[in-house]
Amino acid sequence: METTFKVYRFDPENGRKPDFATYTVDLPDSATVMDGLRHIRDELDPSLAFRASCDRGSCGDCALRINKKGKLGCTLQIAKTVKDGVVKVEPIRNIPVLKDLVYDMETFLWQKIKSVKPWITPREPEPDGEYIVAEEKLLEVRKAMSCVMCGLCDEGCVVIKIDKKFVGPAALTKAYRAVFDPRDGEHEHNERLTLVSEPGGVWDCTHCFEANGHCPLGLEPTTRLFEVRDEAIRRGIRSGTKNPKVQRHYDSFVNSVKRSGWLDEGRLAIESEGLTNIAGLAKLLPTVLRALPKGKAPLPYLHPKRPGTQAIRRIIEKAQRREV
Amino acid sequence: MKYAFYPGCVSRGACPELYSSSVKVTEKLGIEIQEVVDVGCTGAGVLSRDLSDPINARTLAKVEAMGLSSLMTICSTCQGIFTQANHRFKNEPEYREKINKEYLAEEGLEYKGTVEVKHFLWVLMEDYGMENLKPHIKRKLTGLKVAPFYGCYIRRPTSIMAPKGLLGRKTYLEDLIELIGAEPVDSSGKSKCCGFPILTVNEDNSMRMVSDHTGDAKNKGADCMVTPCPLCHLNLDANQPNAEKKANTQIGMPIIHLPQLLGLAFGFDEKEMELQRHIVSTEPISRQLEVSIRS
Repeated sequence: METTFKVYRFDPENGRKPDFATYTVDLPDSATVMDGLRHIRDELDPSLAFRASCDRGSCGDCALRINKKGKLGCTLQIAKTVKDGVVKVEPIRNIPVLKDLVYDMETFLWQKIKSVKPWITPREPEPDGEYIVAEEKLLEVRKAMSCVMCGLCDEGCVVIKIDKKFVGPAALTKAYRAVFDPRDGEHEHNERLTLVSEPGGVWDCTHCFEANGHCPLGLEPTTRLFEVRDEAIRRGIRSGTKNPKVQRHYDSFVNSVKRSGWLDEGRLAIESEGLTNIAGLAKLLPTVLRALPKGKAPLPYLHPKRPGTQAIRRIIEKAQRREV
Repeated sequence: MKYAFYPGCVSRGACPELYSSSVKVTEKLGIEIQEVVDVGCTGAGVLSRDLSDPINARTLAKVEAMGLSSLMTICSTCQGIFTQANHRFKNEPEYREKINKEYLAEEGLEYKGTVEVKHFLWVLMEDYGMENLKPHIKRKLTGLKVAPFYGCYIRRPTSIMAPKGLLGRKTYLEDLIELIGAEPVDSSGKSKCCGFPILTVNEDNSMRMVSDHTGDAKNKGADCMVTPCPLCHLNLDANQPNAEKKANTQIGMPIIHLPQLLGLAFGFDEKEMELQRHIVSTEPISRQLEVSIRS
């Protein structure tokens, strides 16, 4: 099949702006995008640089943006992606590019993965023999273990797009792998959960589920992230040490639903800032003053109770007693 | 068909115009709704699922007790949380039974897993049908350029929000905009997050999302944006002045709720749809409506 490859080219040493080079390749229908790139490098243009390793979808090295979608080049057949005879290949987004299709994973992913301490510190005392773990307790953990760290979930993340400090779904999937491993030590477990609850961690996620759609292995990173957050809440960790506003927000939300069955929006805004935080409360004023004349600023603490509030409060209190 | 109606906290709080316009439009269309009042907040993705799943199971059990099998929402966030929870209840019977036993039995309730939760947008497109909507259109909103803004909760996770067989859900807003004679404007962020969920946690990021989305719609020539989610509405409308300030720019993009847009085409005037309640002036919409009436 004859295909036109439009490939992103950038060389920091030649001083030119990035552009796209066009190559025509003729390969069998079964050929993958990586086959196409290798053909270009071997037969047409040896200066083309790209990352590749396993060629079977298990190392994550060849994560690329192919026809505007984040994909692993080695598992994507040209025939499956070609559009009007063209395959456009670019580096993934939100990442510093070193040369052509080679990008720098250090700040994009490796540092973030290290920051969540993605290793297990075994529970004490150590058993005499090996740790015996029930198979069913590891089923979900195994899924997270199979993450190949390609970074495609981070590539599609709407928060990382605007804030490179956000730790992102890939690192939090690695955190999940350690958090839900039953061999993980109690102290380290809580320490890791506090770590991922700090600014730039789980609470900075918008819950938009973009990451689930971007993972080539179907590991559902957003779902993992939610589970890490819920495990932290279960352990009484509702924020990190540096973002107490998050805990105030969570507690106010819970208390509001407990008190009236539904959300007291005014109370939530005030209590999230903190009742004695004059500067924070003053910051709310312009928004409130704009909303008041329009009848869009519900009065806090005067929130009417919904019928059924008592039953809802009972449910919340019971669920809270089950938290660790 | 009769629907149990779950308006959600925001349409009863900071977006009362969504509640009233939804009631007026459903009445006009002859869609029978019965509000389920003695139920709780979905948790909006803030509450841990340990807390919100039993509360949502209780709501669905209440719908069953009303003898109904469909629950209509008017909030994408409520819809998303309900769909995800209901997916667990329907596909994990042991989990559902555990919740029934531990939380609902005391009240004599049981959720059997029979309820379908549908956003108003889905009800219109999948149950009511575009052909049946046509006779209700009293004035075509010709010339009005409308950028659809789905937000995230009504779109993802795709496997349950727009599964195979319902892939059309990805263009329902565009389909409706065209049906009422207006022109859909495609913006790059239409199915991305509006930033509301992180407003408290990271205001800078949240406001950046607002200015990006509204600014993009403006650059593409939209007169307004329409959303099926009151939380998207709150962030894009009520916080737009804050986002403008942070981005040091002026945008002035009106944001309207889906029932308001349809209501205008069904013959309600702007006051009846309570457009005057919005923070960003809806004047560009009024101007375009006058032009279309004259022509």
